[in-house]
Amino acid sequence: MRELTCIVCPVGCHIEIDEHQNVTGNRCSRGQKYAIEEITAPKRMLTSTVKTKFKDTPRISVKTSAPIPKELLFEVLKDLDDILIDNHVKIGDVIIHNIRNTNVDIVSTKSTLCY
Amino acid sequence: MYDYVVIGSGIIGSLITRELSKYAVKVLVIDKENDIASHQTTANSAIIHSGHDPKVGSLKAKFCVLGNKLYDDLEKELNIPLLRTGALVVANGKKEETALDELYQRALKNEVPEVSIISGEEARTLDPLLSKDITKALSLPTTKVTYPWEVAISAIGNAIKNGASFKRNAHVISIEKNSTHYVLHLKDGSTIASKNIINAAGVNSDVIASYLEEPEFKITPRKGEYYVLDRKAVGLFHQVIYPLPTDAGKGVLIVPQVHGNVLLGPTSTLVEDKECYSNTKEGFSYIKQHLKRLSKEIPFDMIIRTFAGVRATSTYEDFYIKESKLHKGFYHVAGIDSPGLTAAPAIANYVVHELLNIQAPLKTAFDPIFQKPKPFHSLPFETQQKLVRENPKYGNLICKCEKITEQEIIDAIHGPTGNDTIKGIKKRARAGAGLCQGGYCEGLVLKIIARETNKPLTEINYYASDTPILVKETKTNEKN
Amino acid sequence: MKKTDLAIIGGGAAGLAAALSASGSSLSILVIEREKVLGGILNQCIHNGFGLHMFKEELTGPEYANRFIEDLRRENIDVLYGTTVIDIQKKDTFLLTLTSEVHGYETLEAKAVIIASGCYERTRGAVQLPGERPKGIMPAGSAQRYLNIDGYLVGKKVFILGSGDIGLIMARRMTLEGAKVLGVAEIMPYSNGLTRNIVQCLNDYDIPLFLSHTVTDIKGKNTLEQITIQQVDEQFNPIINTEKVFDVDTLLLSIGLIPDVALFDSLKMKKSPITKSAIVDQSLMTSVEGLFICGNALHVHDLVDWVSKEGEKAGKYAKQYLLANRINPKNSKAIVPGDHIRYVVPHEIDFNNVTDDSVTLSFRVTKKMASGTFKVIQNGEVIQMKKAKYIAPAEMESLTIKLEELKSFDPITLSLEETL
Repeated sequence: MRELTCIVCPVGCHIEIDEHQNVTGNRCSRGQKYAIEEITAPKRMLTSTVKTKFKDTPRISVKTSAPIPKELLFEVLKDLDDILIDNHVKIGDVIIHNIRNTNVDIVSTKSTLCY
Repeated sequence: MYDYVVIGSGIIGSLITRELSKYAVKVLVIDKENDIASHQTTANSAIIHSGHDPKVGSLKAKFCVLGNKLYDDLEKELNIPLLRTGALVVANGKKEETALDELYQRALKNEVPEVSIISGEEARTLDPLLSKDITKALSLPTTKVTYPWEVAISAIGNAIKNGASFKRNAHVISIEKNSTHYVLHLKDGSTIASKNIINAAGVNSDVIASYLEEPEFKITPRKGEYYVLDRKAVGLFHQVIYPLPTDAGKGVLIVPQVHGNVLLGPTSTLVEDKECYSNTKEGFSYIKQHLKRLSKEIPFDMIIRTFAGVRATSTYEDFYIKESKLHKGFYHVAGIDSPGLTAAPAIANYVVHELLNIQAPLKTAFDPIFQKPKPFHSLPFETQQKLVRENPKYGNLICKCEKITEQEIIDAIHGPTGNDTIKGIKKRARAGAGLCQGGYCEGLVLKIIARETNKPLTEINYYASDTPILVKETKTNEKN
Repeated sequence: MKKTDLAIIGGGAAGLAAALSASGSSLSILVIEREKVLGGILNQCIHNGFGLHMFKEELTGPEYANRFIEDLRRENIDVLYGTTVIDIQKKDTFLLTLTSEVHGYETLEAKAVIIASGCYERTRGAVQLPGERPKGIMPAGSAQRYLNIDGYLVGKKVFILGSGDIGLIMARRMTLEGAKVLGVAEIMPYSNGLTRNIVQCLNDYDIPLFLSHTVTDIKGKNTLEQITIQQVDEQFNPIINTEKVFDVDTLLLSIGLIPDVALFDSLKMKKSPITKSAIVDQSLMTSVEGLFICGNALHVHDLVDWVSKEGEKAGKYAKQYLLANRINPKNSKAIVPGDHIRYVVPHEIDFNNVTDDSVTLSFRVTKKMASGTFKVIQNGEVIQMKKAKYIAPAEMESLTIKLEELKSFDPITLSLEETL
């Protein structure tokens, strides 16, 4: 039996899930899906920054376009360490396609042309 | 080879250096820290006392009364801020009134000018927030408040202009004496040669003395905690308010400051670590408790900062200002606790013009005036507009709480008494000294320092060397 | 002298929404922003969770801000960048003194002003945190800015005081960038932050959360070396023999936000000692006519969506005020915080100047409750009730009162009754 707090919405239901994946304590179906995923293949959104060569915006913020497997977070961060943005980007531009074969992209959430 | 090396750039060392620079001698003032005046001088009540409290006939009494007057000259020459607040020592009830009267007699014997006893009502007319329990007060109109580290920095600035030198990060770890001069060995391996040494090393003056002899004094450090009200408390209190003094010292005070803040404190506790400036829960309770006798309307919710200092109280009951008996040319100016700040100009005069018996002539070209711009926010609007048109960096506001401009920060970095640390800029320009305590402007100041000194951001220190604010740059494995 | 009908001080979430809402007429609007870019604190909040209510999407801070900035550009609203207001006075109109590197010192005359200046972080001195003062202690937001905007870590071994969202977010952020976060201490017996942040920011990285603990000592002469935390009792006094020591080089403080309104003391607007900001009526006007306020400058919010809604309101009412060009003599009655209610915004209803048929109250409770009923009471009579679940001081609530339901022009009380 595992106890979880659901993170899908601000309510934060206290969920219990047993070895047969029976879920109790959730107030909606999203909670059931979250609980099963959390114990089989937990995923997380990643937000971080990448370096640019632009003096006014030395860093731009980025995010994964969808949640990725939790165990890949630090690997993906290493990939971000290798990036140097040398062309102007705007919000929504893809920085890395299909990061580590997840079918998820790394997407810019800031523009280098803020000024 | 120097004629005089002054160890310690606090208020004592800096004013002594300035007096020395009046003579045709080669002078160096050194400090083990990364800036001028980093210890007692930056952690005290900032009061220029009238001289009512020290023991009659002591050097403390004599130099306090003399020094008080000399600050009027320093104000004109060094352009330092001086708030003429006056002071009240307050008494609650008959027993305290008797002690107050003794203090009054002592003030008269110490030749403190203009003293008088006033009633509790009169005291409350001058300062309406004073406690209704106060029945009598001793009025000390010659009491003033200054900005102590600015005095030290300006004194050294003036001394440098007149030929003296300053060296920071110069930590003396031993002193050698040979037939003609002294050699000071520094922690970084370098040495300084000088014919004379003036030991103005504050809490470490017994350590410096011990490098050559068994000192006649030992520092018994006493810590004092302080609490600072935001400058929107300006005008709540007009005078320095003292309780009756005890053996521990002058007591917990209310002190209006030159920039509008109000200082509450200090405590007085014996400590072991001379440089441990910690504030404590007990200290704060003590201060709140003792302040009740002075006023019941102190807005503690306006506290923006706490700090502590350690006094160089010594086993020698008075100021210890003497030439070493064993070593000619080795002078100690030690045990300078309260009223050290007040006495400092008088101590400097005595040391340099009497004790040292300098044979060299006075410089005819000595210029006592140290000019510096007034805080930009204090200038009239038209002057501000004109200055900004000439120099746009006056238009870029960096510290929004204290209204400090970029140009003032640039000025604080450069020059012989400039400094390249966050706290050094705060001491000089007041950026970060206000309500948000640098929450907004620290990053901006850091970038300005880096630009002006041509250093990477990771080399900009908070205060001591090797205290970089930014420890590591992220994302540094770029390949493309 | 520059002139404008409406001056908006601050181009962050509140100011942006206010500007957009006030636009669309012949009125001139000027947004005054001290940074070189719009967006305010959103620019450094690179995590997601913004916009669930406004846009039904989960956006990061910069993306959320960008939605408003693009709209602002389309509306042709004027913005002064790199400009700080350093003084404000009122005669018939408002006289603002502005300073910038580009334009120097200038005065601006405005018929109405919206304060959208946000908040600042509570400092160590303001809570008299004991110990020494070495390098390495700073507000969490400052560390966030250095990390996300400039790209630098302020330390490698970190402890965080305060488990509000800023503290939790920074626990994760520092960990992701290679620092070791040894723990988070929270003086209350529960965390102020969203539960999802406890999971995503602490549990995910095995960062311990010490509830009912606070920092009781800080050691380090030049650089931070060590902190001590202790458990506290119900009066928040440290309990002896509960000391836990951590060797760290950084202590981040996430101990509260305070409206940044010191500049406006010169206008002598009436203030609430609870929110530490202006008292406002239903139009978000302060006690100074023509002076409006919204966002964190008025009261500290937890969701930016509500900041935007409030900014929208302020913009709408400022526009109304300017177009109507007069207001009726006031008839203001208090909205009183009753049982379990910490404060309510607006603080009063000006019955003579109401322009809508309802008033929305935003408020915070004093106690965490699984379930309760909010009651609006006037002259002892319950005018309205609203049941709610999972009520907490950390989560701002709201309630809309239809004015026709009020029986008189008398004060109203809002209270909360716990369902046991």
